Amino acid sequence: MIWIETIANGIFLGGLYALIGLGLGFTFGVMKIVNIAQGDFIVAAAFIGLALAPWTPGAALLVVIPVAIIAFLIGLALQSLLINRVLGKDQIPQILLTFGIAIILRNGMVEWFGANSRSIPTGSLRFASFSVGGLRFGVLPALVLVIALCLFAALHWWLRHSRMGRTIVATADDYEVVQLLGVNYRRVYNIATGIALALSAIAGVLLGMRGSFTPYSGVDRLLIAFEVVIIGGIGSFWGMFAGGLILGVTQIVGLKFDPTAGLMYGHIVFFLILIFAPMGIAGLLRR
Amino acid sequence: MPLLQIEDLEVFYGDFRALHGLGLAVEEGQTVSIIGANGAGKSTLLKAITGLERQKKGVIRYAGADITTMRADLIARAGMTMVPEGRRLFATLSVEDNLRMGGAMGRKGPWTLPAIYALFPALQELRDVNAARLSGGQQQMVSIGRALMTNPRLLLCDEISLGLAPKIIQDIYRCFEAVKQSGVSVVLIEQNVTLACAAASYVYCLLEGRVSLAGDPRSLSMNEISAAYFGTEAHP
Repeated sequence: MIWIETIANGIFLGGLYALIGLGLGFTFGVMKIVNIAQGDFIVAAAFIGLALAPWTPGAALLVVIPVAIIAFLIGLALQSLLINRVLGKDQIPQILLTFGIAIILRNGMVEWFGANSRSIPTGSLRFASFSVGGLRFGVLPALVLVIALCLFAALHWWLRHSRMGRTIVATADDYEVVQLLGVNYRRVYNIATGIALALSAIAGVLLGMRGSFTPYSGVDRLLIAFEVVIIGGIGSFWGMFAGGLILGVTQIVGLKFDPTAGLMYGHIVFFLILIFAPMGIAGLLRR
Repeated sequence: MPLLQIEDLEVFYGDFRALHGLGLAVEEGQTVSIIGANGAGKSTLLKAITGLERQKKGVIRYAGADITTMRADLIARAGMTMVPEGRRLFATLSVEDNLRMGGAMGRKGPWTLPAIYALFPALQELRDVNAARLSGGQQQMVSIGRALMTNPRLLLCDEISLGLAPKIIQDIYRCFEAVKQSGVSVVLIEQNVTLACAAASYVYCLLEGRVSLAGDPRSLSMNEISAAYFGTEAHP
């Protein structure tokens, strides 16, 4: 019985990991850009969430909405003012640029907030639990999984059925041809980065509610994001979700065996997938 | 004044010069073919006109305005679009969504989804099929349909017969009658000289980045054309 509870907790955590990967995967899928600063943006969003938390007393989760909006605007500015200037066949300038932004963000946060470990207060939600068939689960982790699932589904639906979504998909397929149809691909990129950062910001706030963070947590978050995207298979939406679940379950089950292991078992699974199925879960299914 | 006028166009890829002071003109309502061997600079020319290629010198005038340095999406919004070489459909979108992308900027005109389905009835049944699953001929129809959905004033077509069976090529070329009727000016790039001469009222032949021959195809002899095409002397 205890194992069912453990695996369920792994799935709850995995939903959040999937969400952490989504921003990175979306950015790469649409623009073929790797945003090295993604992890630090996730942490920055948690700090913004911490600052705004007193504004939503009683309904702690609502704070994700203003944080997501702020992150969207930051994404628009980041892409239009900086990243669009270094786009081209060469990937290196863009990697260096986002690497630099990551360093500035991290040190800026240390300067501003100090290096202490923080957590976003969630009031009574923190310890609330529910029971199913004699097993007890936390309400917050379960809600986080539901939110992640809803965001995946909503993005998937929006990309397929809205006009802007279609334009984003088409631009991802061929950014030259969309220009022949009157689409300014740079504008599409601005919006895509806005969406990617908004999704990352939601993940950051939820992570900051479930656990703790410091200005240095960004590297771990980025690593999780990379692992989720690669386990899932680059460019695959639900593969990424599965990737998150696999990582979450391995980590929680691993901790049960070996309480001092931390993220190690997740990294081992990632490593094995990299060796035996380099195209990820989506690649395995396609075979 | 011609709808499209090009003077002294030069395009560079690094140190390599692909076009050497090329000039040509397309009148409103006219269909012009550009022929030439592989590497003559045909595709480079179209990329330069549409704004996808930015490393260029010279003057490109479209509808009276200088568009030499204009961004590609703004040129498209002004009514010039291209059916790119290799069709280049959006592989993750359905046939209908590919066509809809053509209509995304909302230029008014006769070309709507029903009009495209009337032009290529085969596409109607395939509307929900993923574009990557179509045959080459069907893909070419979608690519032409997508370009027409922008309601262009000038339509550039890059090698639409490439890799297709003769019967399919015939079917596809038949659509240009309706396209011309709707008042669209057309520039066809072709390796297939017979097709190019039959479809157009004026032909330019490119050789190594220059115009080697220009004229009404009915007044040009096959001999002249082949000399201009291959860069050999004309045999009397």
